Amino acid sequence: MNLTLADLKKGFKEAGYICDDSTALTVFLTLELKKPLLIEGAPGVGKTEMGKVLAEILHTALIRLQCYEGLDETKALYEWNYQRQLLRIQMNRNLEEEQVKEEDLFSEQYLLERPLLKAIRALETPVLLIDEVDKCDPEFEAFLFEILSDFQVSIPELGTVQANQIPAVVLTSNNERELSDGLKRRCLYLYLDFPTVEEEVEIIRAKVPGAADRLAWDIARVAANLRRQGDLRKKPSIAETLDWARALVFLSKKRLDGKLVSETLNLILKTRADQDFFKAEIGSQGIEDILKQGKDGG
Amino acid sequence: MLLKENLSDSHLEENLVIFTNILRKEGLPISSSETMDALQSLQKIDLSSRENFKVTLQATLIKNYRDRDLFNTIFDYFFAPPEVHNHGEEQTAAYKKRCADKIKQAGNELTFKGEPLQLTSTELAQYSTLTSQQRERLQAFMHKTESGVNVNEPFRPILETVVKSHLRYCRSGNRQDENTGSSPGGEPSKAMAGGCGSGSSANQDYLSEMDMQSITARELPEVEQIIQRLSKKLAVQILRRRKKGPRSGLIDLRRSLRDNLRYGGIIFKIKYKPKRRDREQILLLCDVSASMKKYSAFVLQFLHGLREAVRDLSCFSFSDELENMTQEIKKRGSIHQILEHVIHRSETWGGGTNLGMSLQLLRTKYPDLLNRRTTVIVVSDTRTIALDHAVDELSRLSDRVGRIVWLNPLPREQWVEHRSVQTVAALTEMWPCNTIAQLDEVLAGRL
Repeated sequence: MNLTLADLKKGFKEAGYICDDSTALTVFLTLELKKPLLIEGAPGVGKTEMGKVLAEILHTALIRLQCYEGLDETKALYEWNYQRQLLRIQMNRNLEEEQVKEEDLFSEQYLLERPLLKAIRALETPVLLIDEVDKCDPEFEAFLFEILSDFQVSIPELGTVQANQIPAVVLTSNNERELSDGLKRRCLYLYLDFPTVEEEVEIIRAKVPGAADRLAWDIARVAANLRRQGDLRKKPSIAETLDWARALVFLSKKRLDGKLVSETLNLILKTRADQDFFKAEIGSQGIEDILKQGKDGG
Repeated sequence: MLLKENLSDSHLEENLVIFTNILRKEGLPISSSETMDALQSLQKIDLSSRENFKVTLQATLIKNYRDRDLFNTIFDYFFAPPEVHNHGEEQTAAYKKRCADKIKQAGNELTFKGEPLQLTSTELAQYSTLTSQQRERLQAFMHKTESGVNVNEPFRPILETVVKSHLRYCRSGNRQDENTGSSPGGEPSKAMAGGCGSGSSANQDYLSEMDMQSITARELPEVEQIIQRLSKKLAVQILRRRKKGPRSGLIDLRRSLRDNLRYGGIIFKIKYKPKRRDREQILLLCDVSASMKKYSAFVLQFLHGLREAVRDLSCFSFSDELENMTQEIKKRGSIHQILEHVIHRSETWGGGTNLGMSLQLLRTKYPDLLNRRTTVIVVSDTRTIALDHAVDELSRLSDRVGRIVWLNPLPREQWVEHRSVQTVAALTEMWPCNTIAQLDEVLAGRL
């Protein structure tokens, strides 16, 4: 991967992923050092998107492993094709041939690749996205150690499988539980925060080209203000503000006002409690004040 | 000045090792492999850019966003700009002497029972750069603590932790006020100096480690934010555990086939994935006597944040009576208003403690709540009238419920001094719990 820092920054820009120089530099270092990148941050700040964009920039395949509680190696690494193995046993019996040997059953042709093994055996360097790693069990996290440090896996029936190419690994975490030091030690670390108003305006311009300038600023200001509200259960993510912007463009709106925000609240606040909070604590008048402050402040 | 020579020459490795050692002394867990990563990364970037240099070290050495403030402070101090390094030797020597004098004086001022506290030279340097008001305030706190009843030598580590946290708090607060990096003239960065702000992660760490009883009205809004954040995090974990996962008693095909290969693939023995544990029922008992009401209020705030995650939640307050608060705590809305309402209508808040009577009322009036699935969480320092009656009732309760988790605000070191604590500890799982961090840790492990 002969990618310079400037190429990477250009790639992010072309892909419409707006990020600061420090983020680009951290990603550049992970590619250069061939180390996994652990990205932490609140939900909706663009962690998963980073993996997708990286695959786009590197013109390579994205292999995604979505983590959840109970995820084990049979879902993440490999599984044997049991139906086929049983068929083989039955066929051998019917043909009255010699009893099938165990090593015949546990060979390549009965192996089902799951994302981790697929990434390791890929002939061209893929991007491996291990999404929401904080949702998996600590046992699975420990299991990832071998892959993330040596880029090899042990399959008892086949032996150790070495990576053909070291994949670009991106792990994301919503920081819902503390990850182990062992995992963190093997990764470079990036913390993504919500974008500033200016950055979000750029994101809206890049992703929703039809949005009027004033509308983009209004949306970014209101979103930033809502994210500052400590009592909100779920803060609006970037994807949600983009959906909001698209909807407002569809409605041919050129700017926001308090009434419009109240009417389209469902697009950014997704729980009843948050909507009640908005009505009680901010309301249409609060939005007008936010927009006025933004306008006064330039 | 800590930095050796310029960065661009062969001293880079040496400086990096010194820098990582300082970070380690400040409590950041940095391994040798991470130092190697940092060194390798530095070879890939343009070293003339200070910002790139900083980002590179941060990405390779700091793996927790909460440590970023501390990293930035130490970085700005250690890798001070070139103009700082160009000062004459005399100025450097004079500065070093001033620093040494200040550290010595700090050591003399930060004592407990006449003996200096065990603080690092960096912590002493931080103290020496606090404003006189901040130093006086910290000294007054130490003096007040020292002269407290039953405060003796075992209390020393607790005091040291509090002082260290306070220094981190001030340092971080100052970072918020600062827009520039190191100050000119080779003096330690103002970031190492005093000035307490709020809102930073180090500040939140400090408040989380503070005795709940000592939290002032000014600090309450931020403490509430911390409680809200922690309870939300725990609620997510609890809800996730409750969802029916793939281990819920399903057939484990892989293990079944492997074990039955010896029978030619015919399944004789079916292997199952282990079943998850049944969801528990939580019963919270809060001692709201005069000495305990502040602790109980914080625990109630925490449980209020869990109300939707823990469906079978019952809350009671007790002093010399028992009161059911379950409906109020489960209500949506501001916990302030809920607590105000509860306290206003309550006849138990701020009274004396009769644990035995309260447990007896619980047993007789609410028998349906007590079964083997119930985990009882009691918040109390165990001080009660009629201890024998309390022990008898506690023993009965222990026989009927799954377990009793006792959150005791008294530090563990003091437990041996109280007969009531020892007696109750024998019948329950007792945990010291006088800070929000401890409360989070205990509840996360038990719920």
